[in-house]
Amino acid sequence: MATARVAEPSGSLGEVKEWGLDREDLLGIYRNMLTTRSIEERGHILYKQGKIPGSFYTGRGNEGASVGVATAMGPEDVGTPLHRDMGVHITRGVEPWRIFANYMARIDGLAHGRDGNVHMADDHLGLIAMVSHLPAMLPVAVGCALAFRIREEKRVSVGWFGEGSSSRGDTHEAMNFAGVRRLPVVFICDNNQWAYSTPTHLEYAVEHLADRAQAYGFEGVVVDGTDVLAVHREAKRAIEKARDGGGPTLIECLTLRMEGHAVHDDAFYVPKELFERWAEKDPIERYRVWLHENADFSDAEEEEIKLSVKKHLNDALERADQSPLPHPESLTVGVYADPEELDTPHHK
Amino acid sequence: MPQMGVSVSEGTVTKWLKNPGDTVEADESLLEISTDKVDTEVPSPGSGVLSEILVQEGETVAVGTVLARIGGDGAATPSGPPAPRVEAPPPPPAPEPEAVAETPAPAPEPATAPAPAGNGHAAGEHTFVSPVVARIAAEHGIDPARVAGTGAGGRVTKKDILAFVEAGTQAPAAPAAAPAAAQAVPPPAPVAPGELGPGEQLEPMNAMRRGIAEHMRRSLDTAAHVTSAIEVDMSKVVAIREKLKAEYVRSYGVNPTYLAFVARAAVDTLKDWPWVNAELRGESIVTHSHVNLGFAVALEGGKGLIVPVLKNAEGLNLLGMARGVADLAERARTKRLTPDDVQGGTFTITNPGSFGTFHGTPVISQPQSGILGTYAVVKRPWVVQDELGQDVIAIRPIMNLTLTYDHRLVDGAYAGQFLHDLRERLESWGESDY
Amino acid sequence: MTYLQAISDGLRQEMRRDKRVFVIGEDVGVYGGAFKVTLGFQEEFGPWRVLDAPLSETAILGGATGAAMMGMRPVAEMQFADFISCGWDHLVTVAAKQHWRAGSPVPITVRLPSGGGFSGGPFHSQNPESSFAHIPGLKCVCPSTPADAKGLLIAAIQDPNPVLFFEHKHLYRRIKGEVPDERYTVPIGKARIHREGEDVTVVTWGAMVYTADEAATQLGDLSVEIVDLRTILPWDKEAVLTSVRKTSKLLVLHEDTHTGGFGAEIAATVAEQAFEDLDAPIKRLTAPDTPVPFAPVLEQAFIPQVSDVVAALRELAEY
Repeated sequence: MATARVAEPSGSLGEVKEWGLDREDLLGIYRNMLTTRSIEERGHILYKQGKIPGSFYTGRGNEGASVGVATAMGPEDVGTPLHRDMGVHITRGVEPWRIFANYMARIDGLAHGRDGNVHMADDHLGLIAMVSHLPAMLPVAVGCALAFRIREEKRVSVGWFGEGSSSRGDTHEAMNFAGVRRLPVVFICDNNQWAYSTPTHLEYAVEHLADRAQAYGFEGVVVDGTDVLAVHREAKRAIEKARDGGGPTLIECLTLRMEGHAVHDDAFYVPKELFERWAEKDPIERYRVWLHENADFSDAEEEEIKLSVKKHLNDALERADQSPLPHPESLTVGVYADPEELDTPHHK
Repeated sequence: MPQMGVSVSEGTVTKWLKNPGDTVEADESLLEISTDKVDTEVPSPGSGVLSEILVQEGETVAVGTVLARIGGDGAATPSGPPAPRVEAPPPPPAPEPEAVAETPAPAPEPATAPAPAGNGHAAGEHTFVSPVVARIAAEHGIDPARVAGTGAGGRVTKKDILAFVEAGTQAPAAPAAAPAAAQAVPPPAPVAPGELGPGEQLEPMNAMRRGIAEHMRRSLDTAAHVTSAIEVDMSKVVAIREKLKAEYVRSYGVNPTYLAFVARAAVDTLKDWPWVNAELRGESIVTHSHVNLGFAVALEGGKGLIVPVLKNAEGLNLLGMARGVADLAERARTKRLTPDDVQGGTFTITNPGSFGTFHGTPVISQPQSGILGTYAVVKRPWVVQDELGQDVIAIRPIMNLTLTYDHRLVDGAYAGQFLHDLRERLESWGESDY
Repeated sequence: MTYLQAISDGLRQEMRRDKRVFVIGEDVGVYGGAFKVTLGFQEEFGPWRVLDAPLSETAILGGATGAAMMGMRPVAEMQFADFISCGWDHLVTVAAKQHWRAGSPVPITVRLPSGGGFSGGPFHSQNPESSFAHIPGLKCVCPSTPADAKGLLIAAIQDPNPVLFFEHKHLYRRIKGEVPDERYTVPIGKARIHREGEDVTVVTWGAMVYTADEAATQLGDLSVEIVDLRTILPWDKEAVLTSVRKTSKLLVLHEDTHTGGFGAEIAATVAEQAFEDLDAPIKRLTAPDTPVPFAPVLEQAFIPQVSDVVAALRELAEY
């Protein structure tokens, strides 16, 4: 029996404005989503050209959910986005060239060649780099919220996890702790219906993962992840609630993973009809239409954004390509931190 | 050429720091060498004048090769290419040490009883050398086989070799070194020999005792011990001794003991019977043109023996022999023997008879081939010929002598003839024989 | 003061000095900690600086990691060192690697009551330091004296890296010592010569320091040098090598089990770097490769006893 609240779809421009978004913000959202997708499409090409070592993961189909949540975060808030959440990095201000450099294991990548793909973050922008053991970042996100609570700061921590990783104890332990202490953390579940090849009915037994929130003493919300404005609305509500001392919320963003688990996976196990159905709900296309219909989005504006993003990424790739590979002798540097590294601005 | 490392078998002379004719002090750097383990300077083993350089700069020679001579007297040289582990014949008397930089200080072996251990191992002996001992040995150009070992199984411990090194740099050392080595490693309570029964007391063996025990066992296991005995009428010796005693004591401060007479006669006899003054090395018989005579000296308290060696005894007359023996005995008792003093013997005389016994079968001191035992001079009724050639009974001072010999090399007839000749000399000692 | 009091004292001083320091663990607040290390702390510092966490090592360690990345100085407590395995992932996967791969220091301290000797059984008696010695990015300290306990705890809290502080619970009340009143640190990564000697070196840490000391006292005729490592990662190689070069005989002693115990690392390093200084094979004396037993007679066969150390030292001396 479902207990989570199902969110309304996005409404009119007026409604959207109530949630603090003006037209410029709206166009910015579009740009961010487009940039997110373009980076990942370009990355695919680079990978096939052999310029990206290791493996390559994208979040195609999740642009709405990721950009939507990130747009709702305050400048002092922090988050632990995952590999389907490129939109969070872009929205928070990470420069695309650093992302390309990271893909290509260059020194100027956010991880400086020490970790790959999207295991990266710019902590100046309040983001924390993920690990592979999912959802290990959830207790960490809760820890961030704990710091805010102890210091009585009006800051919020946002922790992402996939529906697959929800099966691990870290999820339970993180949410339980957060609920018990009413910590200022918002849990975002990227439910893209497939954990590699495992469908949701083999992953959990409840109707919505958000139903579990009740077990931890807070509210759960299910939202259409392809509806960026709906996501934004729910995220904004939850984040501000947390900021005001109202404790955690679990937001489940429903999407479909439009590609394989990684570039090496062709997702043969996903029924074609599913792909077709969800392709019709492509978040960028949906939003583009909404903008035209509700916000007087002109073709010229659209074209301008498109070209600008393209140029931006061309420049970014060129710049990333200049970045050197790390030197083997640098391998052992930095295993330990020096005292001087503490209490730098981003460590407040 | 020293052995700079366990696996090193040769070295190259890179630079002579002294020229022939130069004076050199002990421990002063004499030359520089290079091996595949290390490059190093070689300190001079003694003081003197560098008389001859035998290996030139740039030449590579095997470890143990004589590189130069100091003193230039053509004194006895080591025979053959000495392999590092076989006992290289020792440097001749002090003033002319050879620059065989192999062993600056020979091992101060702990003393053993009539079969002293002053001469290193029998050929083919092998004990484990730990890494640190190998390194210290290499650093000092020492053959660990020459060091008395107090470790498990008789191995040389780090303390042993450090004590050895230190002993080598101090003159009064030898027996002090062995007991010193023993003191440096106070033997821990022995590996429990089980529970003590009623009436049993336990005390650990000290280093000297362990050394003696090891040597005795090894000697008996090595040589084929046979003893022949002969009785000697010492009348003539007794008479001459009486005559000489006062004069020797007054003029030379030395007592001409029976031992000195026997030693003097034995040394001459050994010239004619060289295999009793020889050594078996592998399949070869090594004879000597000198006699380095070892004398067993009992230490106080019956706690051990040491066998100092009188070098080149063949060149000594009775006085010289008496003096030599007295000096060695004195220094042995006062622990002033040097490592040199207990090494290099070719034949040994022991005197178990000093307590009145008339016979015995001493143990040969490896790697020698014989040991002479002297016993109490006892007045006995003796059958002699009178002026008419008739048998009569006289009272004569009789001394039993035993020769214990290694039957691998020396046969009974050979030994018997040695003893016969020795008796002859003693029984016909002339007043003018000295 | 006792070893336990020294830890308390150090922690309290740090919490008074720096508001960013807070304690999180099970039963640390109202109850004062299972061993009473934080007795009185919640009264003084309040419930948001002395947090009674739910029974979740993940929440404790992951939470500490996140908080540290936000500028706090958490001192997390595992009620027993044995429970660290429940929170292993966050220590090893996130905390240990975050600086190296993402540039973010994680200044957490994790206190781990470790060790046996009182019939605690398999799950309350372990010494898991060697598992973590193997993880680059972590530091592990094992003080044996009250003075070192306070100094190393303060050093751990001050260190910008994740530090595992193994406090041997069998020493808590049994060991007393002089402890300076003021704030001071003991450097992480430096050993201490507990006892000087010439004949043989014992390298050890934690409660075994006292076992070695008792053995050395019994062996009157042997001059035993005891090196108290104090830090396992990074360990003081120089101190150990210097001692081994002096004595040429080494006994490595630890309460942890044998295979893969940290003694193996010490032995291998000494064999590599001081081979030509050894006068005997390197010896290790450790617990056997079993879980920690419960029955006292079994536990005594498990934990190295004074008589075991005496025998081992004798053997080395006679080699």
